[in-house]
Amino acid sequence: MTEIEIEPEVSNIFSTNNTALYQCDRSESFILKFFEEHISFKIGELQAIRKKIRNIDLAQLFKSGTPDIEILNVPQCDRIFVLSILEILELKELFSGAFVMLELNSVIHREILRK
Amino acid sequence: MKDILRRHQILREEIVNILNKQVQIEAQSAANYLAMAAWCDVRGYDNSAEFYFKQSDEERKHQLKLFHYLADMECDAISPAIEEPQHEFTTLRSVFERALEMEIAVTDAIHNVVRECRKHGDIATEEFMRWYVQEQIEEEYVARRCLELFDVLGEDKIALGMFEERVLGIEYEGD
Repeated sequence: MTEIEIEPEVSNIFSTNNTALYQCDRSESFILKFFEEHISFKIGELQAIRKKIRNIDLAQLFKSGTPDIEILNVPQCDRIFVLSILEILELKELFSGAFVMLELNSVIHREILRK
Repeated sequence: MKDILRRHQILREEIVNILNKQVQIEAQSAANYLAMAAWCDVRGYDNSAEFYFKQSDEERKHQLKLFHYLADMECDAISPAIEEPQHEFTTLRSVFERALEMEIAVTDAIHNVVRECRKHGDIATEEFMRWYVQEQIEEEYVARRCLELFDVLGEDKIALGMFEERVLGIEYEGD
């Protein structure tokens, strides 16, 4: 796990109540704020964790007889997350919102800044 | 704010997924052809076996070309799991029938990749896939010509011997 100091030049891409995603232009990396922790990812790693979060089947977790937690291995930061349903919902919201913003930023660069 | 998404992720997720699916299809074809080569080899159809060993190598090259493209574009190329190939066939002709079916399925899959590229405006990948579109014209032609040889020669022992003499010479001229 990498603890990161949020520097002033870092941009906030999207936030929820307990999570946020920041972009650091200097290191070309992303910083995930998850409750009190800050974890740094490269874009590929961020895509991988986004895919894992997206693939969590919430309906399965709501079924009786199965534990209502999901264990998520994130080898990039040598860390295993044990996520509750509420945390999963929050991360799903964070990643969908953040990637819409990142794609919007791409559109702005393509249609306005690079022209 | 830098456009990191564009700087480090050249292909869209949908394109990466369909290209990885194609990697799996090519790997499966390579394994299937190897099984066909083995069937031909143990039954004394040496030239047909050689034909399928070559086909298997070709499919492996197709797989690696896609694999390298994904890696070059800073995307995750997935080394695929493949299913058990068909090892048992009734006749030599049935092996070639199966080969044509496989090639048609591969062509359909390649065309789907091109359609997906067009849907997302990925001109570079569409251009990259052009080689595969051409390659499939050749692959299907050769598979069809093999079956036509069976139609012309028949399937008795002498005919199968004549087929063996001709199978390695079947090529797509393309002009």
